[in-house]
Amino acid sequence: MDENIKLKMMLPKIPDIELVAIEGMDRMARHMGISEEKISEAHVLVTEAVINAFEHSGQKNPLVQVEFTMTQEKLTIFVRDFGKGFKPEDIEKPDINKKLGSSHKRGWGLKLMESMSDDFKVDSNEKGTKITIIKNLQ
Amino acid sequence: MEADFRLTSELHHDVLVINTSGYVNNEGGEKIAQEFDKHFEKGVKKVIINLEKSKVVNSIGISFLIEIIDKLNEEDGKLIFTNLESAIEKMLTIMGLFNYAGKEATVDSALKTFDIKTG
Repeated sequence: MDENIKLKMMLPKIPDIELVAIEGMDRMARHMGISEEKISEAHVLVTEAVINAFEHSGQKNPLVQVEFTMTQEKLTIFVRDFGKGFKPEDIEKPDINKKLGSSHKRGWGLKLMESMSDDFKVDSNEKGTKITIIKNLQ
Repeated sequence: MEADFRLTSELHHDVLVINTSGYVNNEGGEKIAQEFDKHFEKGVKKVIINLEKSKVVNSIGISFLIEIIDKLNEEDGKLIFTNLESAIEKMLTIMGLFNYAGKEATVDSALKTFDIKTG
């Protein structure tokens, strides 16, 4: 089957709004017969991408655009914010050995997205940040 | 998708078991840490966190669990995670938590590693 389904949404910053994106993706996955294991891993990717976008947008009332494109073979997750952007090379890679004993224990989002995806791209400038994540589903 | 976070806790001798349900986000993580603190202040140093009913967690929620590991490390205590969904187990592995915390399939098997007899 080469069916390709898409879902687009614009999320306002309200508590746990990332769960709305996950719900939508779950419905797509059930329709396509995707395994629970793959979808659970996609939950982590979507959650981290959305909370990262809100956290780093630097806007008072941010909106985050989320798009899913799903085939039986792969899921493409596109997450965009309209904030001030950042330089990915300036972000220190988190290390549990350094986090223990430190007051700053956060900052894991990019590492998780990179590690749990099959392809991961960040495109950021002063007009916002676009994150594209590919997750193979087979 | 269950969003509302809840927890229950129980003591098995000197082992604290925290059972969660719902989304472990920043609020959920903070509630786990507060529950832990209540018992840690009284000397509890062996902790089991049972995530059986939490199917979604985020890294901000997990950062509160790193705080728990930090406090237990300082007192020669130990944390064991149980009933992890495979994606959550993968997430914790990537973050390196199992270098400092244990994992077991069930609460009973975790209690056994603390030498607590069950059932």
